Amino acid sequence: MSQAPVIPDFGRGSTCERENGTFCLDWVGKHWHDKLGPALLQHLLLTGIALGVGFAIAFMLALAAHRRGWLATPVVLATGLLYTIPSLALFQLLVPLTGLSRVTAEIALVSYTLLILFRNVLTGLAGVPAEVRDAANGMGLTARQLLWRVELPLALPAIVAGLRIATVTVISLATVAAFVVNEGLGVPILEGLQLTFNTEMIAAGALAVALALAADGLLVLLQRALTPWTRKGVSA
Amino acid sequence: MKQGILAILVTLALGLAACGSSDSNDTSGSSTTSGTPGKGKPAVTLGTKNFTEQFVLGQLYKQALEAKGFTVALKQNIGSTEIADKALRSGQIDLYPEYIGIFNTAVAGDNKAYATVQDAFAAGKSYATKHGFTLLPLTPFTDVDALAVLPAYAQKHNLASVADLAAIKGLRLGAPPEFRQRETGLVGLARVYGIKDVKFSPLTIGLQYQALDDGKIDTADVFTTDGQLQGGKYVVLKDPKNVFGFQNVTPVVSAKVLAAEGAAFQQTLNAVSAKLTTPAMQQMNAAVAIDKQSPADVAQKFLKANGLV
Amino acid sequence: MDAEGRERMSDFTDAFRFIGEHLSLLGRLTLDHLALSGAAVGVALALALPLGVWLGHIRRGSFVAINASNIGRALPSLALISIGVAVLGIGFLNVMVALVVLAFPIVLTNAYVAVEGVDRDLVDAANGMGMTPTEVLWRVELPLALPLIFAGIRTAVVYVIATATLASIAGGHGLGDIIVDQATYRLPGVLGAAICVALLALAAELVFAGVQRAVTPRGLRIDRAWGYVEEERTKAV
Repeated sequence: MSQAPVIPDFGRGSTCERENGTFCLDWVGKHWHDKLGPALLQHLLLTGIALGVGFAIAFMLALAAHRRGWLATPVVLATGLLYTIPSLALFQLLVPLTGLSRVTAEIALVSYTLLILFRNVLTGLAGVPAEVRDAANGMGLTARQLLWRVELPLALPAIVAGLRIATVTVISLATVAAFVVNEGLGVPILEGLQLTFNTEMIAAGALAVALALAADGLLVLLQRALTPWTRKGVSA
Repeated sequence: MKQGILAILVTLALGLAACGSSDSNDTSGSSTTSGTPGKGKPAVTLGTKNFTEQFVLGQLYKQALEAKGFTVALKQNIGSTEIADKALRSGQIDLYPEYIGIFNTAVAGDNKAYATVQDAFAAGKSYATKHGFTLLPLTPFTDVDALAVLPAYAQKHNLASVADLAAIKGLRLGAPPEFRQRETGLVGLARVYGIKDVKFSPLTIGLQYQALDDGKIDTADVFTTDGQLQGGKYVVLKDPKNVFGFQNVTPVVSAKVLAAEGAAFQQTLNAVSAKLTTPAMQQMNAAVAIDKQSPADVAQKFLKANGLV
Repeated sequence: MDAEGRERMSDFTDAFRFIGEHLSLLGRLTLDHLALSGAAVGVALALALPLGVWLGHIRRGSFVAINASNIGRALPSLALISIGVAVLGIGFLNVMVALVVLAFPIVLTNAYVAVEGVDRDLVDAANGMGMTPTEVLWRVELPLALPLIFAGIRTAVVYVIATATLASIAGGHGLGDIIVDQATYRLPGVLGAAICVALLALAAELVFAGVQRAVTPRGLRIDRAWGYVEEERTKAV
């Protein structure tokens, strides 16, 4: 059945697209729904899962270290070790273990959040003044009540500061996940690189930056809402 | 209250995970064909390698299968042959489109130069069968490596074929890193044409055209069906001794999966392959590379025009 | 251990064998990697250090100087390298420029915060003793600012070394060449190079942590697991 195929007209690109101009807004409009939009959503998903899991782990570790001070050093060393490993290297080291999947990307991204979040939660908790603790004890609060009603609220600025850094970091790193799984804003970046198509790379890169700045801003607002007694945000 | 908000945030993040689908799926056109023999068959994972033509091939096969009711998950841009082969053997993907020459050399470790593409195919098939895979029928189009130069450079050095490059001292050649080790690469060029004085620049696939334009390299390893070659901007040198071999595409499928999916699965794939001539592939690649269309749209248009969706 | 598990472990043992068998290749690529990183950090230091120190000294430009590293952290290095290719093309110089852009904000912010954060009372006392502003800068502010400045240098060095791994997709030379070329070096090679680059980053981190400690005036050293200064450690990409 080797009839010659019908080759339809695929449509001519605009002048800007064909000439690879610096930024073609028309391409962005045309391909938002099939390239940039889905990539953005996938990126949000990757980031959200990493931050959620990372925060849960770091939080539990910090609570444990708050009680048993000797835990701090080994945890910082271990998470610091993970933090220093270059992302591309860590992704590739995980591939033989967990395959070319979202799990691989998430494991790597989670490990990058641990140091910052652990450090900041612990510092926040440790920063509660002794007098406040004494007063709470004097009022008859149990250890659990002390933690949840006094220490954690006071630690919130430090915790949110850590969350801000972790969020921006993960959003930036999740682009490298495109080497392992075909998701996230790294995909249009690499695609644009392959075609040397400026618009795709710039659009995806700009989206990642915008996402990071927006997340950072939202967290600042969140912190202000949660800690009305602070006059201005504390940086870690 | 504060801990409640924190708890909500964590739950939200984890909830997003639960809602997330397992693999990324590109949008595909809905099918309007009559039979859907694929309904009820197990889902297949289709992988593609790391360049434009593979993305188009992936979309072509995926959309054609989905039109027949099959469930296809697309793992796009896995990487080079070695990575795709490993993924196939470990079951992460069930099939991917491979080039018969590369299959023989890189996967089967067979560096023999075959006289015809049918011989190469037969050799590849026998290897595949021994290892639990099947090679489906070849496409009409072949996408071989080639060396391209700028027209001015070709004129200056009087270049018409690859053999003419042997005379140039310190030839700056840009190609994907694997080119260095391949029989259909530097190894073959040195052995057959005597091109030994080469300054090699490893480049990610796609960057070689820019490097050529910028004058960073003298000659680039290109693929003969690349979209960028349409329009005569580059001179493609002839390969009279056929160092670059045959590179028709054959979908490499796990034998188990092939059996599980039934006859219609193969037939659908073969029907698509049969329509992929060199001009067709070139124009589809050009639509993506030059007109910046998306592979999914290009594949959809082609399949529609040929009654395959 | 089942067959698949054994295969995975063998990938890692093969990785170490690869390292053992390819020491000269890895050594050469490591030197390339360090050369690229060193050049980028050097340029970033030359540009950002004087600027940051001066702004901190005259206590101006705080908004820009402090937020520089926030913006810098938000820039995906992959995007920057890719756009660098589009704008500048491939090659050592072009990749280096992208790395400089990434390192610059870190050094700037740390230098600014370091000098600006020197205790005002000390500066006033020095002024009161009759020191000129230049003398105050060199004999009071800078020595006290050194720990945090070096924290910034340390962060920038590790960040650039890690990002230089990515640069291999754009024609940069370094250990990343192996990591992005699984076709030639196969999985053991990729794993071996990944291990090497991780060790390289860790070594740089340790060396500069030591340097930072060494330049911290004894009076400021406080033993804590994560160091005295709460510097913002930008993630090594």
